Amino acid sequence: MIGQLRSELLKQRSTETTLYLFLAMFGLVALAVTLHVLALGAGDLSTRTRQLEVFQVGSRAGMLFAGLAGAIAITAEIRYGTIRPTFLVTPRRGPVLAAKLAVSALAGIVFGLLAEGLMAADAAVAYAARGIENELSVGDYVQLLAGGAGASALWAVAGVGVGALVRNQVGALVGLCAWMFLVESTSESFVPDFGRLLPGGAGLALAGNTDELSAAVGTLLLVLYAAALAAAGWRATLRRDLA
Amino acid sequence: MNAAKPAAPRLVDVQPSRASAPAELLRRDAVVSVTSLSKRYGEVFAVDDVTFSLEPGTVTGYLGPNGAGKTTTLRVLLGLAEPTAGEALVFGRRYRDVDQPIRKVGAVLESTDFHPSRNGRDHLRALALAAGLSLSRVEDVLDLVELRGAAKRRVRTYSLGMRQRLGLAAALLGDPELLILDEPANGLDPAGVRWLRTFLQTFAEQGRTVLVSSHLLAEVAQTVDRVLIIDHGRLLASGRLEELTGKGQTLEDVYLELTGGEPS
Repeated sequence: MIGQLRSELLKQRSTETTLYLFLAMFGLVALAVTLHVLALGAGDLSTRTRQLEVFQVGSRAGMLFAGLAGAIAITAEIRYGTIRPTFLVTPRRGPVLAAKLAVSALAGIVFGLLAEGLMAADAAVAYAARGIENELSVGDYVQLLAGGAGASALWAVAGVGVGALVRNQVGALVGLCAWMFLVESTSESFVPDFGRLLPGGAGLALAGNTDELSAAVGTLLLVLYAAALAAAGWRATLRRDLA
Repeated sequence: MNAAKPAAPRLVDVQPSRASAPAELLRRDAVVSVTSLSKRYGEVFAVDDVTFSLEPGTVTGYLGPNGAGKTTTLRVLLGLAEPTAGEALVFGRRYRDVDQPIRKVGAVLESTDFHPSRNGRDHLRALALAAGLSLSRVEDVLDLVELRGAAKRRVRTYSLGMRQRLGLAAALLGDPELLILDEPANGLDPAGVRWLRTFLQTFAEQGRTVLVSSHLLAEVAQTVDRVLIIDHGRLLASGRLEELTGKGQTLEDVYLELTGGEPS
């Protein structure tokens, strides 16, 4: 199993894909947080709750990009055919998936920490420039970083599951983006009681970006979503013929 | 691949000595034993009741038109697809039941199975790590296929011939007893073809076994000891090359006669 983990880590490090994902996430978070913080009126940013809500965009970006990285971990192998030599080496396939889940979760933690860290730094600079009081406590920041990292790790696990189920790389990536930015944000706007229970909404509760749902319930929900998707992807991968 | 065409089994079996041996014995001795193997996709039998076995120290050519069932046979043999009926064994076991299979069996199914932005060495290292092999094996096989100089380059900069050799290097990582190659000569220049032929013959002279699918009949005739001919999923002929071509016919004559000669 150590060999499988080292193999998966090397696969992640030996292409530029992960780097490009980090750069894209950085750009998106920096742009979104800056626009939010500069565009909103000072009154809108005067409370702790509002300041945490502004940070939702960073948490969502961390989760989404972690999910994309997880999906790519399996769909890139299918797209480029390396899944064949991979499964010739490990024909029972389970250890390959276990290593992909572990390594993707690890990468997800990094995505989460970077997204939340960048967002917090960006907001701190913008608040200082506008003379807005930063209402967040040390505890808020701890939950943001730790919860955001956990939520992104769980999204990465879910992403591996989605990739294993969908198998088509473009389909899996477009599907995850559409889910986060269309399905979740629409639900949040029009049926908030439902939207906050979805994987992205649950992740926001975990990172403390909302007080509509407790962190404990959010964690439980997100763990269930991630486990269900990973299990379905696992089952499909072990049974399906390879083209 | 045509279910509606049952076609009388035109099996030319020229292995009388093996045919009479007890099936159990055959299966245990054989490096590869495929028994009544069928694989159906929807309504179509890609492989239809195919039986053959390979002995150690031989190079066997697996021939047939596009879509005849060659690649499907190899996929099932290597555990990438499940058989619909029958069985396909390597060293007496299903591939997935072989302990550390790449130490016994090396295979290349597609010459394009690389991530374009990963370099050749990292491609091999990822496989060696997963297999629990020493990373020094990576350098050994890079030398063997003469790719050490290009090992740091991304695969997207490789020529087709270099990709073929990198695939072969991956198959050789575990120093296997059996080598299974699907169309390995495609894209090789004449020097590369000769290199591959010499390589395969040397490999077999060491008592190891090669199964190689190909369209290139002239090349096959120079390389292999034994031939299997398949069309529409059915095995049409199997035997030693000189026995099949015994009546003054070339391998091409025999092949076209058996497969009906229609271009596909």
